[in-house]
Amino acid sequence: MTKRVLLHVGTPKTGTSYLQDVLFRNRPTLARNGILYPADRFDAHFLAALDLMRLPWGGLETEAIGAWDRLADEVRRWPGTSILSHEILATASRSQVGRALESLGHHDGTEVHVVLSVRDLVRQIPAEWQENVKHRSVISYERFLEEIRDPARETRIATWFWAVQEVPDILNRWGHDLPPERIHLVTVPPPGGPPTLLWQRFSQALGLDGLQLDLEAERANPSLGVPETALLRRINRAANRQLDPPDYRPLVRELLAHQTLSRRTGSPRLALPPGVHPWAQDVAATWVDEVKQRGYDVVGDLADLAGPPPLEVWADPDQPSEKQVAGAAVDAITALLLENARARHTEERLGRELHEAHLALERAYLRPTYRLREKIVRRLQAGTAGRRLLAVYRLARGRNSRSA
Amino acid sequence: MTALDADTPGVRRAWGWVEHLRQGGTTPWRDWSVQGPARGRVLPGAQQLELLRRVNLAGAPSATLVERILTASAPGRGRPDLELAGAVERLRFGPAPVDPADLATHELIRVATGLLAEDLVAAGTPERPAAPWARPWRTRYRLAGDPVLTEPLRAGLTARGRPPGGRGVVLVMGTDVGRMLTDVWTTRCFAEGARAWSDWLPPQVRHNTLPPRADLVRCARAWAGRVGPDRVHVVLDPALAPRLVGVRRPVPAYPDVSADGAELARRVGAVLGLLVVPPRRRALLRETLRPRLAALGGPPLVVPPEHHEWLRARAVRMRDALLRAGYAVHGDPDALLTADRVGAPAPSDDGVLGLALRLLLDHDQTGPTGLAFGKEGM
Repeated sequence: MTKRVLLHVGTPKTGTSYLQDVLFRNRPTLARNGILYPADRFDAHFLAALDLMRLPWGGLETEAIGAWDRLADEVRRWPGTSILSHEILATASRSQVGRALESLGHHDGTEVHVVLSVRDLVRQIPAEWQENVKHRSVISYERFLEEIRDPARETRIATWFWAVQEVPDILNRWGHDLPPERIHLVTVPPPGGPPTLLWQRFSQALGLDGLQLDLEAERANPSLGVPETALLRRINRAANRQLDPPDYRPLVRELLAHQTLSRRTGSPRLALPPGVHPWAQDVAATWVDEVKQRGYDVVGDLADLAGPPPLEVWADPDQPSEKQVAGAAVDAITALLLENARARHTEERLGRELHEAHLALERAYLRPTYRLREKIVRRLQAGTAGRRLLAVYRLARGRNSRSA
Repeated sequence: MTALDADTPGVRRAWGWVEHLRQGGTTPWRDWSVQGPARGRVLPGAQQLELLRRVNLAGAPSATLVERILTASAPGRGRPDLELAGAVERLRFGPAPVDPADLATHELIRVATGLLAEDLVAAGTPERPAAPWARPWRTRYRLAGDPVLTEPLRAGLTARGRPPGGRGVVLVMGTDVGRMLTDVWTTRCFAEGARAWSDWLPPQVRHNTLPPRADLVRCARAWAGRVGPDRVHVVLDPALAPRLVGVRRPVPAYPDVSADGAELARRVGAVLGLLVVPPRRRALLRETLRPRLAALGGPPLVVPPEHHEWLRARAVRMRDALLRAGYAVHGDPDALLTADRVGAPAPSDDGVLGLALRLLLDHDQTGPTGLAFGKEGM
């Protein structure tokens, strides 16, 4: 059997969270079919990617030390097919790609395939801005668009955006050592198509067709509307200084963004301004030309990269409807109140448990034998000879405890 | 096949330059014209090549260091590895090729920090002598305040069998407020990390606050609440501290680290966080890197002149509050007022890169143990 590694390296916002969730939850089924998804936690491949690329991530990197080598070691020991997936791998430099392929056994007979899922820029640009906002950014949408369109690409935002989104450049870095038939491009279908179509494409690219997998998603990276994103940006501006990353993640990103604001469905969706639309489509057209020339395996249709037409009514997230933002804010406050109530109940319960533990400890201390021992120790500690005697006793007992 | 794989005169010229740099050459890319054969999987990025040229200008790197630089990846977020302008045509996608001489210095520092972090891990920490037994007759004490004053004192006293703890005096150590501010930032650079000096200081001024370890009033008040004001001593002359805990011989202080040295530690520390766990990172930065940087010298960090007025107002308030509270003050209370120190109001990228190059070459010449600087500074 040929040993194969399928390396899904991006791009963000192309259904990657869903794919990784399905793969993670179906590890036993996959393993029974000779496919390894090596992960002991949901974000194992994310940590490995941070380690490979030496990328600090708000303190999470301390959990990533040595993660890539451990992952690669597991892959090398597996006799069949292994699947690795994380979208931030798209940013890897040429030398990091070289190290990754080497560690996965590329030069030792292992057949390495690179899978890149891609979506039109018309939807990716607003999605990336929103993702920035969900990671504490306070940049306005207008400024974000200016930065990514600046040909110099020198800002932090622009370098990251193009590193994870520029399809031909990502494939230049990841595909340098591989023949084109081992590079698979999965296109995300346009909006309004069958909901299972993207999964079918992933399934085909990763060789999962015919397996009985549980496709019910537990994790996803849902999108927010215009007022919700605007609200989040205002929260970032107000709270960033006080809220450290370990608190921001569960409270703002998870509780507010993912669990609360993403459920508001009636608000206008984020979209590309009509004036920027032609530029995005021009860029996508050059990518499509390039990909066609290179002869990669395309799963889906390159025409999907053209993206949907401009909206007739476009909502500007930098100048949102204040009424809609207020509605989102009320939902956010409600969620925080409920979370606060839950935390208070937990605190009260823990307080009660601690009190009961104290009472139990006091009861133990009140036993006559304990009081007698305490009295003897107190007497001995009052004098030099007694202290020496105690020291000898503790030495003989074998531990340096003062609890006796 | 990408543009860099093509066998064109531009790409051959680039490989010729790589070979020139491998041999210790220092000619800038724009003045280079000799072509050469491809010798490697891919052409190194412009950042790596320019860093190697700067290293060649600063010394004579070994073949190992040369290869490490050429295959290094810049850690963290930033511009990707860039191609050489003139070697390849600008494509319709990807970042524009550059002349390496035009690269911002911080791009080169970024590559260097990854290598320095690896060097630190390889060097490890100097062996610590076994802690002596605690003298039962020692004066019990605790230390608070300016970390650059308290940390070496605590370490020195512990090494003499006088660890802190127990019911005794609390020494709140301080000096002029400007120095305490730079001390706190510098200490963070060698520990858990900090924002850049230019991002860290202005909010303190804007919100009229001092970080906890530089705010002696808050420190003294907190300890007075726990142990009573009679046991709190404010020490504004560090030379007086040993006697207050029953020691006659002075305890060595930390050697000063330059503004650029602290900034380099801050940047290396961020990468080190991806290689070792936090306690090990702290130990490597303090015990291995700090003495090396101190030995290299350079102007210390000072608060920029535009904040002196604010600093003086804070210092006067602090002095008056400490005297009003009635704590025992050792040293001149006016020592809190801003002293005129000569130094750098901010780290400079050129200075940071200069230090990084010296450290890379020193480590390359002394090997993984590389304690030549460590011994001098200890």
